[in-house]
Amino acid sequence: MAALFNRTNFNRISRIPPAYFVFAVLLIVLWIARPHMLNINIMGIFIRQVVPLGILVLGQMLVIRVNSIDLSGAGVLLLINFYISSSMFPGASLPFFVAISLATGLAVGLFNGYMVGKRRVSAVIVTLAVNIVLVGIVQFLASGKPPGDVPSIFSDIYNTKLWLIPTPVLFWVALALIMSLFLSRFVYGRYVSSVGANPVAALFSGVPVERTVIVAHTIAGLMTALASLVQTASIAVGSVRVGHELPILAVAATILGGVVFGRGEGGVWGPFFGVLSFALLFVVMTTFGIGESGKLITQGLIILLAAIFYGLRTAKSRT
Amino acid sequence: MQVAATRIGGDVKKRIEMSGISKAFGGSVALKNVSFELLEGSVHALMGENGAGKSTLMKILAGVHQPDSGEIFRDGRAVTFATPKEALDFGISTVFQELSLLANLTIAENMFLGREPTLRFGTVDYTTMNRETTKALAELGLDLDPKTMVSELTIAERQFVEIAHGIKADASIFILDEPTAALNAADVEVLNRHIRRLRDEGKAIVYISHRMDEIFEICDMVTVLKDSELVATKPLAEMTPHSLIAMMVGRELKDLFPERNAEPGEPMLDVENFRISASSEPFSMTVGKGEIVGMAGLEGQGQQRFLRSLVGQFEPFGGKVSVRGKALKFPVSKDGGIRYLQSLGVGLVPEDRKEEGLFLTLSIGHNIAMGLHSRKSEFSLADGYGEKIRETMASMSVQASGPAELVSALSGGNQQKVLLGRYLAAGMSILLVEEPTRGVDIGAKSEIYRLLRDFANKGGAVVVLSRETIELIGLCDRLYVVHDDTIVSEMAAENATEHNILDAALSRQASQVRLETTP
Repeated sequence: MAALFNRTNFNRISRIPPAYFVFAVLLIVLWIARPHMLNINIMGIFIRQVVPLGILVLGQMLVIRVNSIDLSGAGVLLLINFYISSSMFPGASLPFFVAISLATGLAVGLFNGYMVGKRRVSAVIVTLAVNIVLVGIVQFLASGKPPGDVPSIFSDIYNTKLWLIPTPVLFWVALALIMSLFLSRFVYGRYVSSVGANPVAALFSGVPVERTVIVAHTIAGLMTALASLVQTASIAVGSVRVGHELPILAVAATILGGVVFGRGEGGVWGPFFGVLSFALLFVVMTTFGIGESGKLITQGLIILLAAIFYGLRTAKSRT
Repeated sequence: MQVAATRIGGDVKKRIEMSGISKAFGGSVALKNVSFELLEGSVHALMGENGAGKSTLMKILAGVHQPDSGEIFRDGRAVTFATPKEALDFGISTVFQELSLLANLTIAENMFLGREPTLRFGTVDYTTMNRETTKALAELGLDLDPKTMVSELTIAERQFVEIAHGIKADASIFILDEPTAALNAADVEVLNRHIRRLRDEGKAIVYISHRMDEIFEICDMVTVLKDSELVATKPLAEMTPHSLIAMMVGRELKDLFPERNAEPGEPMLDVENFRISASSEPFSMTVGKGEIVGMAGLEGQGQQRFLRSLVGQFEPFGGKVSVRGKALKFPVSKDGGIRYLQSLGVGLVPEDRKEEGLFLTLSIGHNIAMGLHSRKSEFSLADGYGEKIRETMASMSVQASGPAELVSALSGGNQQKVLLGRYLAAGMSILLVEEPTRGVDIGAKSEIYRLLRDFANKGGAVVVLSRETIELIGLCDRLYVVHDDTIVSEMAAENATEHNILDAALSRQASQVRLETTP
């Protein structure tokens, strides 16, 4: 009886995404060690830094839930950064940049979705290949030219605040809310859960499996475009080195947020807190004077712990 | 059978004796105090419903599982097998029902997997391996190159390779778990010849099969298990198929099945001139309102290919299909077929509920409501369907704590009900059901039969496939006998017996053979 009770308890706890625990622990550490850091202005700045990652995660979460993955984010980011910072479109307006960025994200997402959903090509290979091609295109276009500047309107918007909260953070929260409502209130969310849990059963219950995968990749492409716009605004210059680590961090935050391959569960808020945990981690690391290498090691360890946690949980639920 | 009877009458040695075996997995009891003995030179049938404990008993004998209590004796001495390897070394060889060959290795590599002969420097001795394999295959009358990849073999050939694998191990006890499931009549005869040869050499053979004809053809003794307990062990000469079924089911069969429908209404599903493959004969079939129609015959003769091609999951050669008088664009596409047919009210309930049917990691509610959600476009608002889910669960008496419980926590019978419930809740008017009661207990079976009959009585039409011919005879109104990718006969289920179904299937084949051999 006692064993039974423990097991249900374990199951209950293991259903909570690890991101929540990590977030809580980091918050407590910060509150004890550096209480003055828990200030809305300081936190706002740190959280603003992870907004591109946060938006990218909204798309990554969706593709991982349908058992796919999108590693083409860095290429899209570079290309969009190049559109804006080079003199490719001299004197273009903000709406033009937003439109061409979204069009690029849409095209890449549709292509990824078509190859993965319809042609059944391995998602890792397709999206990595797309990534390499995009990086190559940008290097070709940029060869011999010094990186330019980003029009100031980007950083102007990036630096605004609504009440005390930075606009990019609000933008991210709004997108997460929309995504969360879309998945919980619309039939598409049910399709995503079903395809994630068992694509064959989804097919036999009448779910348009291919279309679900294509739509997921398309939305991910659009999210990547939005993330790229925010990222470009935040660095304010052109660069061929920007954001190459973002896609893998996005996968990490998604897994930390309780979304796993091959299970139709998980939502928007787990990965959301996964991203917030990374933000807090940077704060904690910075205040303790730990450098870039230490941050990388810790990030990797957290991802590893999340994976072990899930292995444990899968093993438990099988017995 | 005469020979067998005299054998048993004589003073025969026991090969092995299992005494008072009990085994539980977690909380569920798989075997309760079961005793079983195997005589030298006999073929011993092990019978029982799915889940009766046959496989567990045999897995204990084969060293896969260890009993919780009870002992295994050989010549009066207790023996234990901690691993399958120990049982094999002891001379117990198993041919399991699921094919366990590796497709990307050659026949010889499969036969010697894990015990490859080596040369001086530790390299594999292919010459010996291939020679020995050719010899083992020849003993079964098979002329196959040992260097052939298993992936290039037919299912029947693979089954024979598997058997050759067991025989080569020079064992004295053979466990054959549904060895004929994938074989046609001619191959079954070849297999039977070898089983008889092994028997005459004094080996003991355990034969698990659901086909009555085979049991009476080849076996001497039968042991029946029911609900994890031993019912009886008897010489088959004292039994008839009827008394054997009564022993297995423990009650009269007619109690299990609901009343048939007297008069079918207008046709719901019409199939004309249908050809499963380019070389198969065309056939036609129809299902009326209120009718349950079964596709009977030996396993793997095209029943499933036919049903799946209706929803685009198999590509047939051609044919005309109409649903409620409306002709379909046929063949339907693989991606859109199921959705298209569901929009016309035709649902296919797949055979393998764990792999193809259910979302095990999701709730009962999600599993049931998915059929309803699928009728809509992804960008429409999702209904909660709370009422519909509760209604479905209640009408099917699904035993669970509530709609939020995960499907993986349910018993097989309840899972099957949830799967069926998805298609009933989605308001289908024609159900194509593959194996409606695979791996569920007898109580749930009878409930599922009632649900399907209720569905038909409310104006639905049902097509059923099943490996269990008894089930088809009891449940259906009308049967089509399928053989060699075509319908060879049609009969009222009331008058059907396992014997005349087999007869209809096989006589067709015999007549064809005759035609081909006539100059």
